[in-house]
Amino acid sequence: MITFENVTMRYARGDAPALQGIDVEIGRGDFVFVVGASGSGKSTMMRLIILEKEATQGRVLVAGQDLSRLPTRKVPGLRRQVGTVFQDFRLLAGKTVNQNVAYVLQVLGARRHLIKQLVPETLELVGLEGKGKRLPHELSGGEQQRVAIARAMVNKPPILLADEPTGNLDPQTSEEIVAILDRINRTGTTVVMATHDTTIVNTFRKRVVQLRDGVIVRDQADGEYEAVEEGLA
Amino acid sequence: MRLGFLLGEVGNGLRRNTSMFVAVVLVTMVSLFFLGSGLLAQRQVDTLKGFWYDKVQVSIFLCTPDSTDVAACAGGGVTDAQRDQLRGDLDRLEGLVEEYWYESNEDAYERFRVQFRNSPVLDSIPQEAIPESFRVQLSDPTKYEVVASAFEGAPGVESVEDQREVVDKLFTFLNAVSLAAVGLAAAMVVCAVLLISTTIRLTAWSRRRETNIMRLVGASAFTIHVPFLVETVLATLLGAALSIGLLWAMVQYGISGFLTDLLAGQAGMIGLIGPRDLWVITPILVGGAVLLAVITSWLALRRHVRV
Repeated sequence: MITFENVTMRYARGDAPALQGIDVEIGRGDFVFVVGASGSGKSTMMRLIILEKEATQGRVLVAGQDLSRLPTRKVPGLRRQVGTVFQDFRLLAGKTVNQNVAYVLQVLGARRHLIKQLVPETLELVGLEGKGKRLPHELSGGEQQRVAIARAMVNKPPILLADEPTGNLDPQTSEEIVAILDRINRTGTTVVMATHDTTIVNTFRKRVVQLRDGVIVRDQADGEYEAVEEGLA
Repeated sequence: MRLGFLLGEVGNGLRRNTSMFVAVVLVTMVSLFFLGSGLLAQRQVDTLKGFWYDKVQVSIFLCTPDSTDVAACAGGGVTDAQRDQLRGDLDRLEGLVEEYWYESNEDAYERFRVQFRNSPVLDSIPQEAIPESFRVQLSDPTKYEVVASAFEGAPGVESVEDQREVVDKLFTFLNAVSLAAVGLAAAMVVCAVLLISTTIRLTAWSRRRETNIMRLVGASAFTIHVPFLVETVLATLLGAALSIGLLWAMVQYGISGFLTDLLAGQAGMIGLIGPRDLWVITPILVGGAVLLAVITSWLALRRHVRV
């Protein structure tokens, strides 16, 4: 589903590379934790997948498309295949939960009856039924992140990227959020989650791809992650 | 994207950025007002040309008792014999002269009084000082020299004037007005372009969260850009409508009303533009407004709104 072939990424000429010769293959329906300290290149990997940035060298393939050869007009099509969730939620403050989720479908030109059907359905998926009329500031952090996940999933993309989705949440809530991602993964969605939360990684026992200074130091199924290695504990 | 959603987005944008929207409306209004004025002045020139070139072209002024400094008038005012002689000469020039008519001293003075009724010099000019004349319309206006040379210096003729020279001076003036207006319009258009692109930059900033989400979920460039474009086109169209309103008021009350009154009975003698001329240039103004909005937005969006 997502393939990195010898990918190097340098943000500016002369800078140390953010990623260096990365090779990863993520299959359809996989759940992968991308772990590593801040600055290890996790977010850069995410940015390359949605073509926010273009790799300096090597090839990134997403859903069978070589991103280095993707014409600009096909970039929106690629992004429709990938839902994204961020640490800071990025909800629209003036819109209710329903409106935030519906916004995606409206932007993509969905018909009204489809929106009416999909929005409650997706809110139920993330456990927010009955909270559609709330505004983001009336919700807890965990609930806001659920809205963000609903928004990312409402148009049913085959891939879900989550960049430090639990970074602003307490351990209990973090676990709930990852449980939702796990549930989404079980319906066949490929989930890639960047994190440096050892508890989460060790609780869920998924494949772990560990980065250090832009290089993959470990790629292990049912992996563990010891932050001690990074000097973070 | 559905129409309802688009209109909602546009409404949001306008609410957030009302002051910039108003600024774009006003700048567009002023620039199109100047452009419209220039175009109308040009149409006035054309109208006058058509009107006056068909009318009197050569005036043969006859001697007054005061014009003894001209050789042909050495004997004082024109005599009846001289006048008859000139009339005969004009009749003989049948091929060149389309028609001619005689304006007596009384008629000329009457016309002078009307023309200068607001001028303080009126009372200091005695009736004898206003020359009687033959007004000649040429069948071929370019043959002016032939007619002029036939009468210049003839007994009883004080001077021969090509009226077109006088009219052409007016045209030169109106052309200058027209050029100045179009020049100002050009400067204002530059203002409008800069203002629109600044507005789009500010709007893009205030709407960056929405735009970012649109990008992330895979909205097309068109979908992201179209609310900006619609807002700008709305603003310039509103500006165009206001400028047309101003131009209409100017033509209706300024030219058709005030100037016509000022020229009193002579309005019929002069071809003035009217509201009909405004309707002719309306498509140019509206088209210009839309073109300005679309091109400027397109350039600004490429720079300020990343897709």
